[in-house]
Amino acid sequence: MVDRPLDETELVELARRGDLAAWETIVRAYQGIAFRTAYLFCGSAADAEEAAQDGFVKAYRALGRFRRGSPLKPWLLRIVANEARNRRRAAGRREALALRAAGEARPGDAVPSPEADLLAGESRRRLLEAVERLSDEHRDAIACRYFLELSEDETAAALGIRRGTVKSRVARALERLRAELGEREP
Amino acid sequence: MNELELRLAELGRGLELPAEPNVAPRVLERLERRRPFPWRPLAVAFAVLAVAIGTAFAVPPARSAILRFFHLGGERVVRVESLPPAVERSRSEGLGDPLTRDEAERRVGFELVLPSASRRVYVLGDSLASVVVRAYGRTVLLSEFPAQGQFLEKLVAGRTDVQHLRVDGQPALWIEGAPHVLQYFDRRRGFREEPILIRGNVLLWVRGPLTLRIEGRLTRAQAVALARDIG
Repeated sequence: MVDRPLDETELVELARRGDLAAWETIVRAYQGIAFRTAYLFCGSAADAEEAAQDGFVKAYRALGRFRRGSPLKPWLLRIVANEARNRRRAAGRREALALRAAGEARPGDAVPSPEADLLAGESRRRLLEAVERLSDEHRDAIACRYFLELSEDETAAALGIRRGTVKSRVARALERLRAELGEREP
Repeated sequence: MNELELRLAELGRGLELPAEPNVAPRVLERLERRRPFPWRPLAVAFAVLAVAIGTAFAVPPARSAILRFFHLGGERVVRVESLPPAVERSRSEGLGDPLTRDEAERRVGFELVLPSASRRVYVLGDSLASVVVRAYGRTVLLSEFPAQGQFLEKLVAGRTDVQHLRVDGQPALWIEGAPHVLQYFDRRRGFREEPILIRGNVLLWVRGPLTLRIEGRLTRAQAVALARDIG
């Protein structure tokens, strides 16, 4: 006797057979991460929304090519990331990322002294500027691994590269960041 | 993670990101507008489309767009932009002819699985059998009808939530929220009288050759527990 929401594999199977309600459940589950991924890649909220939307439409139409039993999230993110990168190429530029305003602490954060807050803010700003100066290739790898907190496998799928390439790309990106910030390797 | 990696992760959590939009309605609208590939033979697809259009236009005010639909056994749930006008009925009226169990089984042509303690079985048309019971202090309507073919159509809109479940390992749907509209077809696919407004929640599940249905002001857990009792 079972009373439970359908799991992802079951929802994908239903969606493959044309059940849009099942696909809606999947879209709702992944639209947050899809939008964040697209935004980090293309830097525009409007383009990111379009990329996420187009990505889910294309993914539904490509469900016949989705390998049964594979994780869905990296496959979806790859489609959305491609859409976002196409828009970035078309626009020829990307808006720089910004930090939340000082004082917008998250629940549970310790309250630092004003001086420590200022120094930490300055350090974050320098780091973000250094990330923004990276090549798109390196910046995307950093965004996937640290900003979106994707695993190496998920990053590889989202970027359409091998896991080994993710490792080397991230390592080179970290080296460049250290050089930019005048820091020594640990 | 080394120190720089930790700082990057912390930086990611402090980024100013725009509010995340809800893209689901637009995605579904686009997919509904242009289905990529018929997953059933073309003839079936045409038949389903014809029924969908027929249903919407048979009830003039229901000419709002059909946003999507899906089947469970002998019932189809259609999401529309707005509901057509519908009459309200109490659960003991408009259910069909009150018959004995034997008479009811002869009329519908299958063996009933509804609780046999019910003295009267209401039969609507030639295929929908219902009994009225008390469960969890509420009046509840239990119905059964063949899973093959389409006998009931439910129109939902707006805030009505439709969830996929499994009951006894079989596909089920839980429909909860705002009122929805129900329409009945007999085996000749004729429309029956006026559409009926349903205010209760509904659990639909498939059991062998039958579709079973619980309607009433029950929670999802209560409805599923009752479904288990029916077996």
